[in-house]
Amino acid sequence: MRSADALLEVRGLTRRFGGLLAVADLDFTVRPGEILGLIGPNGAGKSTTFNLIAGALRPDAGEIRAGGEPVAGLPPHEIARRGILRTFQHNRVFAGMSVVENVMVGAHTRFRAGLWSIVGARAGARAEEAAVRARAEELIGFVGLAEWREADVTTLSFGQGRLLEIARAMAGDPRLILLDEPAAGLAPAELDRLAALLRGIAARGIAVLLIEHDMRFLLPLAGRVVVLNFGVKIAEGSADEIRHHPAVIDAYLGDPAALVDAARAGESTHAAA
Amino acid sequence: MKPLARWLAAALVLSALAFALSSYHNDVYRKLLLWVTLALGYNFLFGVAGQVAFSHFAFYGIGAYSIVILTFQAGLPLPLAIVAGVALCVAVALAVAIPSTRLEGFYLALATLALAQLFIVVLNEGGAVTGGAGGLADYRLPAILGVRVTGPWYTVVIVLLMLGTMALLARLDRSWFGRACRAVRDSPEAAAAMGVNVARTKVIAFTLTSALAAVAGMAYAFVDNTVNPPIFGLENAFLLLFMVIIGGAGRQAGAIAGAVALYLLPFVLSPLIGHHHALVFGVLMVAAILLQPRGLIGLYDALRRRAA
Repeated sequence: MRSADALLEVRGLTRRFGGLLAVADLDFTVRPGEILGLIGPNGAGKSTTFNLIAGALRPDAGEIRAGGEPVAGLPPHEIARRGILRTFQHNRVFAGMSVVENVMVGAHTRFRAGLWSIVGARAGARAEEAAVRARAEELIGFVGLAEWREADVTTLSFGQGRLLEIARAMAGDPRLILLDEPAAGLAPAELDRLAALLRGIAARGIAVLLIEHDMRFLLPLAGRVVVLNFGVKIAEGSADEIRHHPAVIDAYLGDPAALVDAARAGESTHAAA
Repeated sequence: MKPLARWLAAALVLSALAFALSSYHNDVYRKLLLWVTLALGYNFLFGVAGQVAFSHFAFYGIGAYSIVILTFQAGLPLPLAIVAGVALCVAVALAVAIPSTRLEGFYLALATLALAQLFIVVLNEGGAVTGGAGGLADYRLPAILGVRVTGPWYTVVIVLLMLGTMALLARLDRSWFGRACRAVRDSPEAAAAMGVNVARTKVIAFTLTSALAAVAGMAYAFVDNTVNPPIFGLENAFLLLFMVIIGGAGRQAGAIAGAVALYLLPFVLSPLIGHHHALVFGVLMVAAILLQPRGLIGLYDALRRRAA
Protein backbone atom coordinates (compact mmCIF):
# COMPACT_ATOMS: atom_id res chain seq x y z
CA MET A 1 0.00 0.00 0.00
CA ARG A 2 1.29 3.47 -0.83
CA SER A 3 1.79 5.67 2.20
CA ALA A 4 -0.40 8.41 0.71
CA ASP A 5 -3.50 6.20 1.11
CA ALA A 6 -2.69 5.26 4.69
CA LEU A 7 -4.20 7.19 7.57
CA LEU A 8 -1.71 5.74 9.97
CA GLU A 9 1.47 4.05 8.89
CA VAL A 10 3.71 2.20 11.34
CA ARG A 11 7.15 1.13 10.08
CA GLY A 12 9.83 -0.73 12.04
CA LEU A 13 8.35 0.32 15.38
CA THR A 14 10.51 -0.90 18.26
CA ARG A 15 10.39 -0.37 22.00
CA ARG A 16 12.45 -1.99 24.76
CA PHE A 17 11.88 -2.03 28.50
CA GLY A 18 15.29 -2.85 29.94
CA GLY A 19 16.17 -6.25 28.46
CA LEU A 20 12.62 -6.95 27.28
CA LEU A 21 11.78 -6.28 23.65
CA ALA A 22 8.12 -5.23 24.03
CA VAL A 23 7.55 -4.30 20.38
CA ALA A 24 9.98 -5.45 17.68
CA ASP A 25 10.17 -4.02 14.18
CA LEU A 26 6.41 -3.77 13.81
CA ASP A 27 4.82 -2.73 10.48
CA PHE A 28 1.15 -2.09 9.79
CA THR A 29 -1.14 0.55 8.30
CA VAL A 30 -4.62 1.79 9.09
CA ARG A 31 -6.77 2.88 6.13
CA PRO A 32 -9.45 5.59 6.34
CA GLY A 33 -12.80 4.33 7.69
CA GLU A 34 -11.73 0.75 8.45
CA ILE A 35 -11.87 -1.21 11.68
CA LEU A 36 -8.43 -2.70 12.28
CA GLY A 37 -8.05 -5.17 15.11
CA LEU A 38 -4.74 -5.58 16.91
CA ILE A 39 -4.82 -8.79 18.91
CA GLY A 40 -2.51 -11.08 20.78
CA PRO A 41 -2.22 -12.94 24.05
CA ASN A 42 -1.45 -11.06 27.25
CA GLY A 43 2.02 -9.51 27.11
CA ALA A 44 2.12 -9.53 23.31
CA GLY A 45 2.93 -5.79 23.14
CA LYS A 46 -0.56 -4.52 22.24
CA SER A 47 -0.76 -1.86 24.92
CA THR A 48 2.83 -0.77 24.29
CA THR A 49 2.00 -0.32 20.60
CA PHE A 50 -1.10 1.62 21.57
CA ASN A 51 0.85 3.90 23.91
CA LEU A 52 3.55 4.47 21.28
CA ILE A 53 0.93 5.65 18.78
CA ALA A 54 -0.93 7.76 21.35
CA GLY A 55 2.29 9.49 22.43
CA ALA A 56 2.28 8.15 25.98
CA LEU A 57 5.57 6.29 25.22
CA ARG A 58 8.46 7.18 22.91
CA PRO A 59 9.65 4.56 20.44
CA ASP A 60 13.29 3.41 20.50
CA ALA A 61 13.22 3.03 16.72
CA GLY A 62 10.82 3.17 13.83
CA GLU A 63 8.38 5.54 12.23
CA ILE A 64 4.76 6.46 12.84
CA ARG A 65 3.12 8.63 10.20
CA ALA A 66 -0.33 10.19 10.41
CA GLY A 67 -1.57 11.28 7.00
CA GLY A 68 2.04 11.18 5.81
CA GLU A 69 3.35 13.38 8.65
CA PRO A 70 5.88 11.85 11.08
CA VAL A 71 4.37 11.84 14.60
CA ALA A 72 6.56 9.36 16.51
CA GLY A 73 7.72 10.82 19.82
CA LEU A 74 5.25 13.71 19.86
CA PRO A 75 3.53 14.31 23.23
CA PRO A 76 -0.08 13.03 23.62
CA HIS A 77 -1.72 16.46 23.18
CA GLU A 78 0.03 16.91 19.82
CA ILE A 79 -1.18 13.47 18.69
CA ALA A 80 -4.76 14.46 19.63
CA ARG A 81 -4.37 17.72 17.71
CA ARG A 82 -3.69 15.61 14.58
CA GLY A 83 -7.07 13.88 14.80
CA ILE A 84 -6.00 10.73 16.66
CA LEU A 85 -8.05 10.31 19.84
CA ARG A 86 -8.04 7.47 22.33
CA THR A 87 -10.02 5.85 25.09
CA PHE A 88 -8.57 4.26 28.21
CA GLN A 89 -8.82 0.63 29.22
CA HIS A 90 -9.62 1.64 32.79
CA ASN A 91 -12.08 4.49 32.23
CA ARG A 92 -10.58 7.89 32.94
CA VAL A 93 -13.55 10.21 32.93
CA PHE A 94 -13.34 13.66 34.52
CA ALA A 95 -15.07 13.01 37.83
CA GLY A 96 -15.77 16.64 38.72
CA MET A 97 -17.74 17.45 35.56
CA SER A 98 -21.11 16.60 34.04
CA VAL A 99 -21.44 14.15 31.14
CA VAL A 100 -21.81 17.03 28.63
CA GLU A 101 -18.75 18.84 29.97
CA ASN A 102 -16.71 15.63 29.77
CA VAL A 103 -17.58 15.27 26.11
CA MET A 104 -16.84 18.97 25.48
CA VAL A 105 -13.28 18.45 26.76
CA GLY A 106 -12.89 16.02 23.86
CA ALA A 107 -13.51 18.97 21.52
CA HIS A 108 -10.66 20.94 23.14
CA THR A 109 -8.59 21.12 19.95
CA ARG A 110 -11.60 22.36 17.93
CA PHE A 111 -11.88 25.70 19.77
CA ARG A 112 -10.54 28.80 18.02
CA ALA A 113 -11.57 31.57 20.46
CA GLY A 114 -8.66 32.99 22.45
CA LEU A 115 -8.72 33.84 26.16
CA TRP A 116 -9.26 37.54 25.43
CA SER A 117 -12.43 36.94 23.43
CA ILE A 118 -13.72 34.63 26.21
CA VAL A 119 -13.07 37.27 28.88
CA GLY A 120 -14.71 39.87 26.63
CA ALA A 121 -17.65 37.46 26.03
CA ARG A 122 -17.32 38.10 22.30
CA ALA A 123 -20.12 36.85 20.07
CA GLY A 124 -17.74 34.51 18.21
CA ALA A 125 -16.61 32.82 21.42
CA ARG A 126 -20.19 32.41 22.66
CA ALA A 127 -21.40 30.97 19.34
CA GLU A 128 -18.49 28.51 19.28
CA GLU A 129 -19.26 27.37 22.83
CA ALA A 130 -22.95 26.86 21.94
CA ALA A 131 -22.07 24.94 18.76
CA VAL A 132 -19.66 22.61 20.58
CA ARG A 133 -22.24 22.00 23.31
CA ALA A 134 -24.92 21.11 20.73
CA ARG A 135 -22.49 18.74 18.99
CA ALA A 136 -21.55 17.15 22.36
CA GLU A 137 -25.22 16.54 23.11
CA GLU A 138 -25.68 14.96 19.69
CA LEU A 139 -22.73 12.61 20.36
CA ILE A 140 -24.12 11.70 23.78
CA GLY A 141 -27.29 10.64 21.97
CA PHE A 142 -25.20 8.74 19.39
CA VAL A 143 -23.55 6.58 22.08
CA GLY A 144 -26.88 6.16 23.90
CA LEU A 145 -26.33 8.26 27.03
CA ALA A 146 -28.96 10.95 26.30
CA GLU A 147 -30.81 10.28 29.55
CA TRP A 148 -27.65 10.91 31.57
CA ARG A 149 -26.67 14.13 29.76
CA GLU A 150 -26.52 16.33 32.87
CA ALA A 151 -25.71 13.50 35.30
CA ASP A 152 -22.78 13.50 37.66
CA VAL A 153 -20.31 11.13 35.96
CA THR A 154 -19.55 9.37 39.24
CA THR A 155 -23.07 7.88 39.12
CA LEU A 156 -22.47 6.16 35.74
CA SER A 157 -21.89 2.40 35.50
CA PHE A 158 -18.59 1.07 34.15
CA GLY A 159 -20.20 0.34 30.76
CA GLN A 160 -21.69 3.83 30.59
CA GLY A 161 -18.28 5.28 31.45
CA ARG A 162 -16.85 3.40 28.46
CA LEU A 163 -19.55 4.90 26.20
CA LEU A 164 -18.78 8.34 27.62
CA GLU A 165 -15.10 7.89 26.76
CA ILE A 166 -16.07 7.02 23.19
CA ALA A 167 -18.32 10.11 22.90
CA ARG A 168 -15.51 12.23 24.36
CA ALA A 169 -13.01 10.95 21.78
CA MET A 170 -15.59 11.48 19.00
CA ALA A 171 -16.01 15.13 20.01
CA GLY A 172 -12.52 15.89 18.72
CA ASP A 173 -13.64 15.02 15.14
CA PRO A 174 -11.02 12.25 14.93
CA ARG A 175 -9.72 10.71 11.73
CA LEU A 176 -8.68 7.73 13.82
CA ILE A 177 -10.00 6.55 17.13
CA LEU A 178 -7.86 4.25 19.30
CA LEU A 179 -9.70 1.90 21.62
CA ASP A 180 -7.73 0.04 24.31
CA GLU A 181 -9.57 -3.21 25.12
CA PRO A 182 -13.04 -1.62 25.03
CA ALA A 183 -14.75 -4.98 25.65
CA ALA A 184 -12.96 -5.55 28.96
CA GLY A 185 -15.35 -5.54 31.91
CA LEU A 186 -18.54 -5.25 29.84
CA ALA A 187 -21.65 -7.47 30.16
CA PRO A 188 -22.76 -9.45 27.05
CA ALA A 189 -25.63 -7.06 26.27
CA GLU A 190 -23.24 -4.12 26.52
CA LEU A 191 -20.81 -5.88 24.14
CA ASP A 192 -23.46 -6.08 21.42
CA ARG A 193 -24.25 -2.39 21.83
CA LEU A 194 -20.54 -1.54 21.73
CA ALA A 195 -20.01 -3.56 18.53
CA ALA A 196 -22.94 -1.76 16.86
CA LEU A 197 -21.55 1.58 18.01
CA LEU A 198 -18.08 0.86 16.61
CA ARG A 199 -19.62 -0.11 13.24
CA GLY A 200 -21.54 3.19 13.36
CA ILE A 201 -18.30 5.11 13.96
CA ALA A 202 -16.58 3.41 11.01
CA ALA A 203 -19.67 4.14 8.90
CA ARG A 204 -19.05 7.84 9.60
CA GLY A 205 -15.69 7.46 7.86
CA ILE A 206 -13.65 7.37 11.06
CA ALA A 207 -10.98 4.65 11.22
CA VAL A 208 -11.03 2.50 14.34
CA LEU A 209 -7.92 0.81 15.73
CA LEU A 210 -9.09 -1.74 18.23
CA ILE A 211 -6.70 -3.36 20.68
CA GLU A 212 -8.30 -6.46 22.10
CA HIS A 213 -7.46 -9.88 23.43
CA ASP A 214 -11.08 -11.07 23.31
CA MET A 215 -11.09 -12.74 19.85
CA ARG A 216 -14.76 -13.53 20.15
CA PHE A 217 -15.60 -9.84 20.30
CA LEU A 218 -13.01 -8.68 17.82
CA LEU A 219 -13.09 -11.13 14.90
CA PRO A 220 -16.69 -10.53 13.75
CA LEU A 221 -16.11 -6.78 13.98
CA ALA A 222 -12.72 -6.10 12.41
CA GLY A 223 -12.24 -5.79 8.65
CA ARG A 224 -8.57 -6.66 9.03
CA VAL A 225 -6.63 -8.09 11.93
CA VAL A 226 -2.97 -7.82 12.96
CA VAL A 227 -1.79 -10.47 15.41
CA LEU A 228 1.09 -9.85 17.80
CA ASN A 229 2.96 -12.29 19.98
CA PHE A 230 6.02 -11.42 22.10
CA GLY A 231 6.16 -8.02 20.38
CA VAL A 232 6.37 -9.48 16.87
CA LYS A 233 3.70 -9.46 14.17
CA ILE A 234 2.90 -13.13 13.48
CA ALA A 235 -0.05 -12.72 11.12
CA GLU A 236 -2.14 -10.16 9.26
CA GLY A 237 -5.30 -10.61 7.24
CA SER A 238 -9.07 -10.91 7.28
CA ALA A 239 -10.84 -12.38 10.30
CA ASP A 240 -11.30 -15.69 8.48
CA GLU A 241 -7.63 -15.95 7.53
CA ILE A 242 -6.63 -15.20 11.11
CA ARG A 243 -9.00 -17.78 12.55
CA HIS A 244 -7.26 -20.58 10.60
CA HIS A 245 -3.72 -19.21 10.63
CA PRO A 246 -1.38 -21.83 12.15
CA ALA A 247 0.84 -19.24 13.88
CA VAL A 248 -2.22 -17.70 15.55
CA ILE A 249 -3.51 -21.06 16.72
CA ASP A 250 -0.02 -21.76 18.10
CA ALA A 251 0.11 -18.44 19.91
CA TYR A 252 -3.23 -19.05 21.55
CA LEU A 253 -2.52 -22.74 22.38
CA GLY A 254 -1.75 -21.80 25.96
CA ASP A 255 -5.32 -20.54 26.20
CA PRO A 256 -7.64 -23.21 24.70
CA ALA A 257 -10.74 -21.29 25.84
CA ALA A 258 -9.78 -18.43 23.56
CA LEU A 259 -9.55 -20.81 20.61
CA VAL A 260 -12.94 -22.32 21.34
CA ASP A 261 -14.34 -18.80 21.68
CA ALA A 262 -12.77 -17.80 18.38
CA ALA A 263 -14.23 -20.83 16.63
CA ARG A 264 -17.68 -20.08 18.06
CA ALA A 265 -17.42 -16.46 17.00
CA GLY A 266 -16.66 -17.76 13.48
CA GLU A 267 -19.68 -20.04 13.50
CA SER A 268 -22.06 -17.35 14.73
CA THR A 269 -20.97 -14.90 12.01
CA HIS A 270 -21.31 -17.60 9.35
CA ALA A 271 -24.75 -18.45 10.68
CA ALA A 272 -25.73 -14.80 10.52
CA ALA A 273 -24.37 -14.39 6.97
CA MET B 1 -28.85 41.83 28.15
CA LYS B 2 -30.09 40.15 31.31
CA PRO B 3 -26.68 39.12 32.74
CA LEU B 4 -25.33 42.65 32.24
CA ALA B 5 -28.32 44.07 34.12
CA ARG B 6 -27.61 41.66 36.96
CA TRP B 7 -23.95 42.73 37.18
CA LEU B 8 -25.00 46.42 37.17
CA ALA B 9 -27.55 45.80 39.92
CA ALA B 10 -24.91 44.01 42.02
CA ALA B 11 -22.46 46.89 41.49
CA LEU B 12 -25.08 49.46 42.49
CA VAL B 13 -26.24 47.62 45.62
CA LEU B 14 -22.73 46.78 46.84
CA SER B 15 -21.57 50.36 46.15
CA ALA B 16 -24.61 51.94 47.82
CA LEU B 17 -23.81 49.93 50.93
CA ALA B 18 -20.48 51.77 51.23
CA PHE B 19 -22.28 55.11 51.55
CA ALA B 20 -24.56 53.76 54.28
CA LEU B 21 -21.65 52.54 56.44
CA SER B 22 -19.57 54.47 58.96
CA SER B 23 -15.89 54.96 58.22
CA TYR B 24 -14.96 52.08 60.57
CA HIS B 25 -17.47 49.78 58.92
CA ASN B 26 -16.27 50.90 55.50
CA ASP B 27 -12.83 49.65 56.49
CA VAL B 28 -14.25 46.27 57.53
CA TYR B 29 -16.33 46.14 54.34
CA ARG B 30 -13.34 46.88 52.09
CA LYS B 31 -11.28 44.13 53.68
CA LEU B 32 -14.22 41.74 53.34
CA LEU B 33 -14.47 42.58 49.63
CA LEU B 34 -10.72 42.02 49.21
CA TRP B 35 -10.92 38.65 50.98
CA VAL B 36 -13.76 37.68 48.64
CA THR B 37 -11.65 38.79 45.65
CA LEU B 38 -8.72 36.70 46.88
CA ALA B 39 -10.94 33.71 47.60
CA LEU B 40 -12.41 33.87 44.06
CA GLY B 41 -8.92 33.77 42.53
CA TYR B 42 -7.73 31.06 44.90
CA ASN B 43 -10.85 29.05 44.20
CA PHE B 44 -9.93 29.04 40.51
CA LEU B 45 -6.34 28.01 41.26
CA PHE B 46 -7.05 25.44 43.96
CA GLY B 47 -10.66 24.42 43.38
CA VAL B 48 -10.90 24.51 39.58
CA ALA B 49 -7.30 23.96 38.42
CA GLY B 50 -6.52 21.71 41.41
CA GLN B 51 -3.15 23.30 42.19
CA VAL B 52 -2.19 23.10 45.85
CA ALA B 53 -0.31 26.40 45.95
CA PHE B 54 0.43 28.48 49.06
CA SER B 55 1.73 31.52 47.21
CA HIS B 56 -1.60 33.25 46.50
CA PHE B 57 -1.44 35.48 49.56
CA ALA B 58 2.26 36.22 48.92
CA PHE B 59 1.30 37.56 45.47
CA TYR B 60 -1.26 39.78 47.21
CA GLY B 61 1.68 41.09 49.27
CA ILE B 62 3.96 41.45 46.23
CA GLY B 63 1.22 43.53 44.57
CA ALA B 64 0.79 45.72 47.66
CA TYR B 65 4.51 46.30 48.21
CA SER B 66 5.30 46.82 44.53
CA ILE B 67 2.68 49.55 44.07
CA VAL B 68 3.96 51.42 47.14
CA ILE B 69 7.64 51.03 46.22
CA LEU B 70 7.12 51.88 42.54
CA THR B 71 4.93 54.89 43.26
CA PHE B 72 6.62 56.43 46.28
CA GLN B 73 10.24 55.23 46.09
CA ALA B 74 10.70 55.00 42.31
CA GLY B 75 8.35 57.94 41.68
CA LEU B 76 6.38 56.32 38.86
CA PRO B 77 2.93 57.71 38.04
CA LEU B 78 0.20 55.44 39.45
CA PRO B 79 -1.06 53.88 36.15
CA LEU B 80 2.51 53.04 35.13
CA ALA B 81 3.22 51.63 38.60
CA ILE B 82 0.15 49.36 38.28
CA VAL B 83 1.33 48.04 34.90
CA ALA B 84 4.90 47.56 36.15
CA GLY B 85 3.65 45.86 39.34
CA VAL B 86 1.49 43.41 37.37
CA ALA B 87 4.40 42.73 35.01
CA LEU B 88 6.65 42.00 37.99
CA CYS B 89 4.09 39.57 39.46
CA VAL B 90 3.65 37.80 36.12
CA ALA B 91 7.43 37.40 35.89
CA VAL B 92 7.65 35.98 39.44
CA ALA B 93 4.63 33.72 38.84
CA LEU B 94 6.15 32.34 35.63
CA ALA B 95 9.49 31.78 37.37
CA VAL B 96 7.73 29.70 40.03
CA ALA B 97 5.15 28.00 37.81
CA ILE B 98 7.24 26.84 34.86
CA PRO B 99 9.59 24.63 36.87
CA SER B 100 7.17 23.56 39.59
CA THR B 101 3.97 22.78 37.65
CA ARG B 102 5.99 20.24 35.68
CA LEU B 103 6.34 18.41 38.96
CA GLU B 104 3.51 16.67 40.80
CA GLY B 105 1.23 18.43 43.29
CA PHE B 106 3.35 17.97 46.38
CA TYR B 107 6.34 19.76 44.84
CA LEU B 108 4.22 22.71 43.74
CA ALA B 109 3.01 23.01 47.35
CA LEU B 110 6.63 23.00 48.58
CA ALA B 111 7.88 25.47 45.96
CA THR B 112 5.04 27.93 46.63
CA LEU B 113 5.46 27.58 50.40
CA ALA B 114 9.14 28.40 49.92
CA LEU B 115 8.21 31.45 47.83
CA ALA B 116 5.81 32.66 50.54
CA GLN B 117 8.53 32.29 53.20
CA LEU B 118 11.20 33.86 51.01
CA PHE B 119 8.92 36.85 50.39
CA ILE B 120 8.67 37.51 54.15
CA VAL B 121 12.46 37.24 54.50
CA VAL B 122 12.96 39.72 51.65
CA LEU B 123 10.47 42.13 53.26
CA ASN B 124 12.26 41.95 56.61
CA GLU B 125 15.75 42.26 55.13
CA GLY B 126 14.92 44.75 52.39
CA GLY B 127 16.30 47.79 54.21
CA ALA B 128 15.00 51.16 53.09
CA VAL B 129 13.30 49.72 50.00
CA THR B 130 10.82 47.55 51.93
CA GLY B 131 11.11 49.38 55.26
CA GLY B 132 12.26 46.19 57.05
CA ALA B 133 10.17 44.76 59.87
CA GLY B 134 8.24 48.02 60.26
CA GLY B 135 7.17 48.09 56.61
CA LEU B 136 6.16 51.22 54.72
CA ALA B 137 3.66 53.82 55.87
CA ASP B 138 2.84 57.54 55.66
CA TYR B 139 1.74 57.50 52.04
CA ARG B 140 -1.66 57.95 50.48
CA LEU B 141 -3.35 57.33 47.17
CA PRO B 142 -2.08 59.88 44.63
CA ALA B 143 -4.56 62.00 42.74
CA ILE B 144 -5.38 60.86 39.21
CA LEU B 145 -6.25 63.72 36.82
CA GLY B 146 -6.67 65.96 39.83
CA VAL B 147 -9.13 63.61 41.55
CA ARG B 148 -8.30 61.83 44.79
CA VAL B 149 -10.54 58.84 45.42
CA THR B 150 -11.35 58.68 49.13
CA GLY B 151 -13.88 57.38 51.66
CA PRO B 152 -16.80 55.35 50.30
CA TRP B 153 -15.66 56.11 46.72
CA TYR B 154 -12.54 54.03 47.33
CA THR B 155 -14.83 51.25 48.54
CA VAL B 156 -16.63 51.53 45.17
CA VAL B 157 -13.27 50.95 43.42
CA ILE B 158 -12.86 47.73 45.43
CA VAL B 159 -16.46 46.65 44.69
CA LEU B 160 -15.72 47.02 40.98
CA LEU B 161 -12.43 45.12 41.36
CA MET B 162 -14.22 42.27 43.14
CA LEU B 163 -17.01 42.08 40.54
CA GLY B 164 -14.51 42.36 37.69
CA THR B 165 -12.47 39.45 39.11
CA MET B 166 -15.65 37.44 39.58
CA ALA B 167 -16.91 38.06 36.03
CA LEU B 168 -13.53 37.32 34.47
CA LEU B 169 -13.09 34.04 36.35
CA ALA B 170 -16.72 32.97 35.77
CA ARG B 171 -16.32 33.45 32.03
CA LEU B 172 -13.04 31.54 31.96
CA ASP B 173 -14.55 28.79 34.10
CA ARG B 174 -17.40 28.23 31.64
CA SER B 175 -15.09 28.17 28.60
CA TRP B 176 -12.79 25.55 27.06
CA PHE B 177 -10.07 26.93 29.32
CA GLY B 178 -12.03 26.25 32.51
CA ARG B 179 -12.92 22.76 31.32
CA ALA B 180 -9.26 22.12 30.43
CA CYS B 181 -8.27 23.21 33.96
CA ARG B 182 -10.83 20.85 35.54
CA ALA B 183 -9.77 18.05 33.19
CA VAL B 184 -6.13 18.49 34.22
CA ARG B 185 -7.21 18.45 37.87
CA ASP B 186 -9.31 15.26 37.47
CA SER B 187 -7.03 13.25 35.15
CA PRO B 188 -3.93 14.77 33.54
CA GLU B 189 -3.43 11.69 31.30
CA ALA B 190 -6.96 11.85 29.89
CA ALA B 191 -6.74 15.64 29.49
CA ALA B 192 -3.52 15.28 27.45
CA ALA B 193 -5.13 12.54 25.34
CA MET B 194 -7.91 15.01 24.47
CA GLY B 195 -5.37 17.55 23.23
CA VAL B 196 -4.93 19.63 26.38
CA ASN B 197 -1.37 20.89 26.86
CA VAL B 198 -1.22 20.06 30.56
CA ALA B 199 1.90 22.04 31.53
CA ARG B 200 0.76 25.13 29.63
CA THR B 201 -2.74 25.03 31.13
CA LYS B 202 -1.27 24.81 34.65
CA VAL B 203 1.16 27.68 34.05
CA ILE B 204 -1.56 29.95 32.63
CA ALA B 205 -3.96 29.22 35.52
CA PHE B 206 -1.22 29.87 38.10
CA THR B 207 0.07 33.05 36.48
CA LEU B 208 -3.38 34.50 35.82
CA THR B 209 -4.72 33.95 39.34
CA SER B 210 -1.44 35.18 40.86
CA ALA B 211 -1.69 38.40 38.82
CA LEU B 212 -5.30 38.87 40.02
CA ALA B 213 -4.12 38.46 43.62
CA ALA B 214 -1.44 41.08 42.97
CA VAL B 215 -4.01 43.57 41.65
CA ALA B 216 -6.13 42.99 44.77
CA GLY B 217 -2.97 43.63 46.83
CA MET B 218 -2.46 46.95 45.04
CA ALA B 219 -5.97 47.98 46.07
CA TYR B 220 -5.24 46.83 49.62
CA ALA B 221 -2.14 49.05 49.86
CA PHE B 222 -4.41 52.12 50.03
CA VAL B 223 -6.92 50.63 52.46
CA ASP B 224 -4.67 50.72 55.55
CA ASN B 225 -2.08 53.02 53.94
CA THR B 226 0.60 50.84 55.43
CA VAL B 227 2.22 47.57 54.34
CA ASN B 228 4.26 45.43 56.71
CA PRO B 229 5.53 41.82 56.81
CA PRO B 230 3.13 40.28 59.40
CA ILE B 231 0.07 41.05 57.20
CA PHE B 232 1.39 38.81 54.42
CA GLY B 233 2.52 35.88 56.56
CA LEU B 234 1.55 32.23 56.24
CA GLU B 235 -1.31 32.55 58.73
CA ASN B 236 -3.36 34.43 56.15
CA ALA B 237 -2.26 32.07 53.36
CA PHE B 238 -3.81 29.21 55.33
CA LEU B 239 -6.89 31.27 56.21
CA LEU B 240 -7.46 31.68 52.46
CA LEU B 241 -7.20 27.90 51.98
CA PHE B 242 -9.68 27.39 54.84
CA MET B 243 -12.11 29.88 53.27
CA VAL B 244 -12.17 28.03 49.96
CA ILE B 245 -12.43 24.55 51.51
CA ILE B 246 -15.05 25.47 54.12
CA GLY B 247 -17.06 27.42 51.53
CA GLY B 248 -16.85 24.67 48.89
CA ALA B 249 -13.86 24.38 46.53
CA GLY B 250 -14.49 24.66 42.79
CA ARG B 251 -17.50 26.97 42.91
CA GLN B 252 -17.59 30.75 43.10
CA ALA B 253 -20.58 30.78 45.45
CA GLY B 254 -18.58 28.53 47.78
CA ALA B 255 -15.55 30.80 47.75
CA ILE B 256 -17.75 33.83 48.51
CA ALA B 257 -19.62 32.04 51.32
CA GLY B 258 -16.36 30.79 52.85
CA ALA B 259 -14.67 34.20 52.69
CA VAL B 260 -17.66 36.03 54.19
CA ALA B 261 -18.16 33.42 56.93
CA LEU B 262 -14.52 33.17 58.03
CA TYR B 263 -13.82 36.91 57.76
CA LEU B 264 -16.87 37.90 59.81
CA LEU B 265 -16.73 35.01 62.31
CA PRO B 266 -14.00 36.58 64.51
CA PHE B 267 -16.13 39.74 64.86
CA VAL B 268 -18.92 37.58 66.25
CA LEU B 269 -16.69 35.28 68.29
CA SER B 270 -14.24 37.81 69.80
CA PRO B 271 -16.62 39.12 72.46
CA LEU B 272 -17.33 35.51 73.46
CA ILE B 273 -13.97 33.74 73.35
CA GLY B 274 -11.38 36.44 72.67
CA HIS B 275 -8.62 35.41 70.30
CA HIS B 276 -9.39 31.70 70.32
CA HIS B 277 -11.34 31.84 67.05
CA ALA B 278 -8.46 29.99 65.30
CA LEU B 279 -9.58 26.96 67.31
CA VAL B 280 -13.11 27.33 65.92
CA PHE B 281 -11.68 27.59 62.38
CA GLY B 282 -9.75 24.37 62.95
CA VAL B 283 -12.85 22.55 64.15
CA LEU B 284 -14.88 23.88 61.18
CA MET B 285 -12.15 22.77 58.79
CA VAL B 286 -12.12 19.23 60.17
CA ALA B 287 -15.94 19.17 60.18
CA ALA B 288 -16.06 20.30 56.54
CA ILE B 289 -13.58 17.65 55.42
CA LEU B 290 -15.27 14.86 57.36
CA LEU B 291 -18.95 15.74 57.02
CA GLN B 292 -19.39 17.96 53.97
CA PRO B 293 -16.42 17.94 51.57
CA ARG B 294 -18.41 20.23 49.27
CA GLY B 295 -18.41 22.85 52.01
CA LEU B 296 -21.07 25.39 52.93
CA ILE B 297 -22.34 25.48 49.37
CA GLY B 298 -22.71 21.70 49.36
CA LEU B 299 -24.62 21.97 52.63
CA TYR B 300 -26.90 24.58 51.05
CA ASP B 301 -27.52 22.29 48.03
CA ALA B 302 -28.36 19.38 50.34
CA LEU B 303 -30.81 21.51 52.38
CA ARG B 304 -32.49 22.82 49.25
CA ARG B 305 -32.89 19.30 47.85
CA ARG B 306 -34.46 18.23 51.13
CA ALA B 307 -36.87 21.20 51.07
CA ALA B 308 -37.91 20.45 47.47
